Amino acid sequence: MRRALLVAALTALALPASAFAHATLRHETPGFRQELASSPRQIVLRFDEPVYALPHAIKVLLPNGKDVITRDAVALKSARELVVAVPRLAKGAYTVRWEALSADGHVVSGVYTFGVRVRAPLVTDAVGAQGPTRTEDLVRWLYFAGLALAIGGIGFRLLVVRGPLGAAANGRFFRVVGAGIVLVLEAGIAGFLLRGEDALQLPFSRLLYGDLSPLAGGTRYGQAFIVLELAFALVSALIYLAWLLDRDAFLWAAFGIGIVFVAGLSLSGHSAAGPGDSKWSELADWVHLAAAVLWVGGVVQLALVVWPGAPELRRLAFVRFSRLAVVLVSLLVAAGTYLGILRLPRAHDLWTTGYGHDLLVKIGLVCLALAWGAAHHFLAVPRLDREAVAGRLGRTLVGESAVAIAVLLAAAILTDSKPPPQPGPVKAPTAAAVHR
Amino acid sequence: MIVAGIQPDAEFVHWWFATGFLVLALLLYAEILVGPEVWARRPWRRYLWPGTLFLMGLLMWPVMTFFTNSMIHMVAHGSWAQALMVAGGAELGLVRGKLHSQWWRLTSFVGLLVSGTALLVHEQNGWTFARAAFLHHAIGWLVIGASVFPLLQAFRPRSVVAASGFATTFAVMAVLLFCDRDVAPVFGHLSTYAGVPHR
Repeated sequence: MRRALLVAALTALALPASAFAHATLRHETPGFRQELASSPRQIVLRFDEPVYALPHAIKVLLPNGKDVITRDAVALKSARELVVAVPRLAKGAYTVRWEALSADGHVVSGVYTFGVRVRAPLVTDAVGAQGPTRTEDLVRWLYFAGLALAIGGIGFRLLVVRGPLGAAANGRFFRVVGAGIVLVLEAGIAGFLLRGEDALQLPFSRLLYGDLSPLAGGTRYGQAFIVLELAFALVSALIYLAWLLDRDAFLWAAFGIGIVFVAGLSLSGHSAAGPGDSKWSELADWVHLAAAVLWVGGVVQLALVVWPGAPELRRLAFVRFSRLAVVLVSLLVAAGTYLGILRLPRAHDLWTTGYGHDLLVKIGLVCLALAWGAAHHFLAVPRLDREAVAGRLGRTLVGESAVAIAVLLAAAILTDSKPPPQPGPVKAPTAAAVHR
Repeated sequence: MIVAGIQPDAEFVHWWFATGFLVLALLLYAEILVGPEVWARRPWRRYLWPGTLFLMGLLMWPVMTFFTNSMIHMVAHGSWAQALMVAGGAELGLVRGKLHSQWWRLTSFVGLLVSGTALLVHEQNGWTFARAAFLHHAIGWLVIGASVFPLLQAFRPRSVVAASGFATTFAVMAVLLFCDRDVAPVFGHLSTYAGVPHR
C-alpha cells in the first residue's frame, strides 16, 4: 500500500502538464475591445499552456444574442491555440464567449468584445450581461459604509480629537475602524466577483474557473478594483501597526492613502466614463465622496466612540466636529449640485427618469440628515453642559448616523445606475441593454 | 492589457512564497533549538516570525488582484492573504503585549483550517490527475492536519512537539511549493517518459 502511494505520488509529480494555475488566455485575435476596419477571418485564442478544444468552444455573438458561428468549426491550431473561422461580419459590436479544457482538467471560460468599424463595448456590456443588480447595490453600499467607518473614523481621530483617547475609547476606535477596513476589502472583492459573474453568464461550477482578466485589465472598474484593493490592504496594515505600536504616524499614512483613493471610485463611475465628463467632474466626484466619508465617519465616531467611551471629550469633540461638518457639508452640497446638473441637464429628468427618482430620494435623505445635524449644532451645543442633554444626545447621534448610512445606500444605487443620455452627442454602441 | 504586461509567471510567485515559508520555518526551528528564553534575550527576535507571517499576508494581496485568470484563484488567494495577516497580526499582538489571552493563538489554527479548505476546494481533480492536483491535495491536507499544532499550542504554549510540528508544517509547505511546475528547482521534470518539460 505504502509503495503504491509512493509510486502514485512520484507519477503525479512527473506529469508534465501541471501548474498551480489553470490555462490563461494570453493573446486573442481580434484583440480585446479592438475596433477593426474590416471583418476578421478567424478568431484565434492563444493560451499560456496546452488546452483541449471543446464543442462550441467559441461563440461570436451579435447584439441580439445570435451566434454567427453556425457550425462547430473550432479547432486546435497548436497545443496552445484555439481557432475558428468566422463568416464575413457586418459593421457592429460583437461578443466572443469562449471555453477550453485546461491541461489540469478544469474548463476555463471567458468573454471579450470587439467591434467592426465601431467602438467595441465594455466587457461589462457584453451580450447577455444584465447590468448591476440589487445585490451589487447592497455590496457597493457596504463598501461606502466601510470607507466611512475606516477613513472617516481616522479623519475624525486626527482632525477632531487630535490627541490620545482613553483606553476604552481607543479600543472602540480601533474596532470601528478595523471593521470598516475589513468591510471595504471584502465588499471590494464581492463587487468585482458579482460584476464578473454578470459579464461571464456561467453556471456556478463553471464560473469558478471563469477568466476575469478582461474585466480586471480592460475596464476602468477592473483597474480601479486592483488599485483600490492594494491601497486599502496597505491601509489595513497601517491601521494595524498604529494599534500595535501606538503611533499616530501610521494613522496619518493610512488617512493620506485612504483619502486619496476614495477617488478610486470615480475611476469606475460615471464621472470618468460618461459623455461630457471631464477632469473637473472627476475632481467633483472625489470632493463629494471624500466629504461624505469624513462627515458620516465623524458622526459614527461621535455616536459609537466618544459618547460611550470618552465622556470627558464629548464637548470638545462635538464642538470641533460641528465646525468641520459645516465645511464638509458645504463641499458635499456644492460638488453634488455640480454633478447633478452635469448628469441631469434637463430639470424634468429629475421626475421622469429612474436616475432622477434615485437622486430625489438621496436629496431627501441628505436634507433629513442636514436638518438633524443643524438641530444638534444650534440646539444641542449651547446646552451640552446639562447632563440630561448629553445623555439624550448620544441616542440622537445614533439616529443621525443611521440616516447618514442610509444616504450612502442611495449613493450606492446612484453609482450603479446610468444617468439618462445627454442631449446632443451620438451614443457609443453597446452590445447589451442596460436594465435600469 | 496592463495587468498581463507586468505579471510574472505563476510558478515564480509560488517559489517566492515558498522561500517565505522556508524563512518562517527556519525562524521557528531556531527558536525551538535555543529555547524561548534565549530567543527572547533580543526582544526584536520575538517579532521575526509573526512579522514575516504578517508581511507575507500583505504581499499576497497583489497575487489576488493580479492573477485574475479564474474566480476561484482570486477567492483562494484573498482568503490566504487574510488568514496570514490575521494569524501574524494576532501573534504580533501577543508578543507586543497588546493581546493577553492565549486563545488568540487559535487564529493560527483557524487560519490553517481556512487555508487548507481553500486549497482543497480549489482543486476538483483526484490526487494523481496531475502534478498540480497532487500538490493541491498534499498541501491542503497537510495544512488542515497541521492545524492541530497551533491548537495544541493554545493549551500548552511550551510544548516542543507542538512548536516543532508547527515549524515543520511551513518547511514541508515550502518544499511542496518549490515543486510547482516541472521546471521547479525541487522535484522538477522527473522523467523523460513524461514528455518535454512543460515550460
